[in-house]
Amino acid sequence: MKVLVAEDDPDIQVILRMVLTRIGKCEVAITFQGNEVLPLAKSQKPDLILLDVMLPEMNGLEVCAALKADPATKSIPIIFLTARALPVDIKEALSRGAVGYLAKPFDPMTLVGQINEILTPLGTSIGA
Amino acid sequence: MMNDSQISFEQILSAMLHMLRETWKAKACLFLQMGDQGLLRIRAVDGIKMSDASDITLGASDGAFGKCCASNKIVEVQKPEELGSLVNLIKPLLNKDEKFIMVPVFGESKVIGLLLMGPFPKSTEVMKRDAELRSAGALCAVLSAHWRLYEWMDSIVPQLNHSLRTPLTAVQGSIGMVLGGVFGQVGNDVKEMLEMAQKGCERTVRAIEDYINNQLPTHKK
Repeated sequence: MKVLVAEDDPDIQVILRMVLTRIGKCEVAITFQGNEVLPLAKSQKPDLILLDVMLPEMNGLEVCAALKADPATKSIPIIFLTARALPVDIKEALSRGAVGYLAKPFDPMTLVGQINEILTPLGTSIGA
Repeated sequence: MMNDSQISFEQILSAMLHMLRETWKAKACLFLQMGDQGLLRIRAVDGIKMSDASDITLGASDGAFGKCCASNKIVEVQKPEELGSLVNLIKPLLNKDEKFIMVPVFGESKVIGLLLMGPFPKSTEVMKRDAELRSAGALCAVLSAHWRLYEWMDSIVPQLNHSLRTPLTAVQGSIGMVLGGVFGQVGNDVKEMLEMAQKGCERTVRAIEDYINNQLPTHKK
């Protein structure tokens, strides 16, 4: 399974790459800029996108809307993984078409399980 | 703490302007708030449509505004041209023998806004009711200060959340992976120390939830 991660913090990038490759058994691509997500999603065709909200150049909410508006990427499930965790932020993120929302900080040992809780009703999962 | 079911500051200010306008039998009453850039912005109105006024900004040193802000005194305006960008809004309301009054809203040791009300016959002796107008201005100052605080909180809370949670994610994530055995097993002493660090992270997250997400007032919640 291919996962595209959009995260601007280099330390969290390292942790996410380790968690997703070692525990989730995923192929991982990472970008730190919001405006790179759509072209990467089109070229790499990931099965899942993990998206931070506060990203440089284009914020995660705008990225999510752009992905959902593009026929080539609209079916890719998007999960927000972000420090903006107020109820109003969660509601806004889900209204943009994301399938789930995970708040930072996260426990790396349970992150894959949390992702699968969101993905399983959609008929997919990671870490198999 | 504000939520969707509660009345907004704009509504409270508008209600107060309405009472003031009714009491003074004026056609229009406006509250202009001083912004950080020294520009005045119309924040609440009564007697005219907010949609006609919301985009108008004025230099705080222009014409009658400058006079009112600099002197902290009630100013009488007899020519619409003295109202800068407000001229088109006020001109239809102001006849030849009438005037508007401008009341400074004083707070934080400076003029933080203005009340503009009228028209009144030129013969109206406004200064005799100086205390009444100053009191209305003081109430606007209190409401305006609260409004600005909430606006500031709305901008700072997401930033605080992000700035505290992001490094915690790196700390908690690293400890979690070591404790989870991703890099092999660790000795009991190391494990005990890392568990203590992990508990510290969890306590900090709970403190963020409690103080920032639940206790700080914002418009958004």
